[in-house]
Amino acid sequence: MAVKKSGLFLILFLLSSVFAQSVQEILDRVEKNLSTPWQAVLKGQILGPDGRPQEFLARLYALPQEEIFRIEFVKPGSLADNFTVLTKKEVWNYLYLTNQLIKSPRERAQIQGLGFAPAELGNPSAFAEKLDLRLIGEVSTPQGLAYRLRGIPKEAGAGFKEMEVYVLKPDPRPVRFLIRDEKGVVADLEVGEFKRTPLDKAALLRYPKDAQVVRR
Amino acid sequence: MGLALAQGRLEAGLWLASRPGPALEGGLALGEGEVFVRLLPTRFGLGYLGSLSLGPWGFLAYGLQGEVGEGGWGGAVYGEGGVGPLLWEGRLGFRPKAAPPLFLEEGLFLRLALRLRLPFGEALGLELARNTPWRPSSFGLQPGRAAWLLEGSYALRQGALLGAGLFPWPYALLGYRDGILDFTLRLGGINRLEAGLYLGEASLFLILSYPFAGSVGAWLGDLGLEVGLKAASPLGEDRETLYAWVRYAWRWP
Repeated sequence: MAVKKSGLFLILFLLSSVFAQSVQEILDRVEKNLSTPWQAVLKGQILGPDGRPQEFLARLYALPQEEIFRIEFVKPGSLADNFTVLTKKEVWNYLYLTNQLIKSPRERAQIQGLGFAPAELGNPSAFAEKLDLRLIGEVSTPQGLAYRLRGIPKEAGAGFKEMEVYVLKPDPRPVRFLIRDEKGVVADLEVGEFKRTPLDKAALLRYPKDAQVVRR
Repeated sequence: MGLALAQGRLEAGLWLASRPGPALEGGLALGEGEVFVRLLPTRFGLGYLGSLSLGPWGFLAYGLQGEVGEGGWGGAVYGEGGVGPLLWEGRLGFRPKAAPPLFLEEGLFLRLALRLRLPFGEALGLELARNTPWRPSSFGLQPGRAAWLLEGSYALRQGALLGAGLFPWPYALLGYRDGILDFTLRLGGINRLEAGLYLGEASLFLILSYPFAGSVGAWLGDLGLEVGLKAASPLGEDRETLYAWVRYAWRWP
């Protein structure tokens, strides 16, 4: 009996290590697949700061070789015309209402209130750095069969309890994010209109010339 | 060692007016905020600015400043925040005597401002102020405003701005901005034009008001140049005089 039990544990252990390896493998495949410039639309529902669900729509632009990501918010209205740019060293947040561009060092730029850093959604190495990821199965999505990865933040203060990421099998890239906190789903976002396209670095770093640049 | 590596800024300037002298402003990152000093031959201010980023949702910021110098002590507190569609600012302070170019307000000064983003991208603004410049001093020194001001405005997403105010007599407000050019015109109880041209590394500013006072300024990268007439009046020593302000800003790392 004891032998049987430990045998079962051994199998579970082996399986989990196989899955653990697979997570890294999947992330590597995503990274390789997304190593050239691409753009996409991120769409779904999020919980606003007031705790009510809001329609979310944003455009995502990625220049992976340069580690530059840009997300332009379209909906909800309170985020419209705002954007976030992520560079190797800094996070820029442009606020339309104040016409300010707030530049912060990346290590200081904790994005609170939103529960996740949308500009990082296309960056698998950023995921692996911050989340303890596990493969929990496969799921069929409108875009095809996908891996289901579940990530638990490695450190407290991430602003959410867990994140589920669906990674498309035939074309390894994230297609859906489900972010939960203690109370339930805080964001359910799908990645659509994905295309590989040449992008201009200057365009990704662009901001209104009359914006006041604030360093915080 | 820690200090040498800390993030900081220094703005060193020369103020040329009836009482010329150096003007220094410096700040050093500390925790989630910044400790700053403002130094003139006649006045010294020390303060702290704290802030919390809410990412694309906005930010919260607060600050306090204490100062000593000619005329006696002074101080100010302020709080500012933008979360989602609402932006607010509150500022309250006292200074017995203005000391341009770094301490512009005189007497009791305050500003309460609210801006609200409407569903189609327009913004509604409401402001109550006394003795406080309209814009930060990086846009040029302001002709003073000793009276109470109450102003409401409506800004379209395309850049047009309409509004009205009391100062203390009614005035109309008209403005425009498109990211490269902006202007604001107030006519009536106050007559004043502010304009800015933004060309990336270079920006140009103009302020003109009637009864006549005005200034022109430019930022060329980190170098700021400004000349004006009566622009700090009726504050401080510079009533009726011509002034120039040259400054250079460093940032590190």
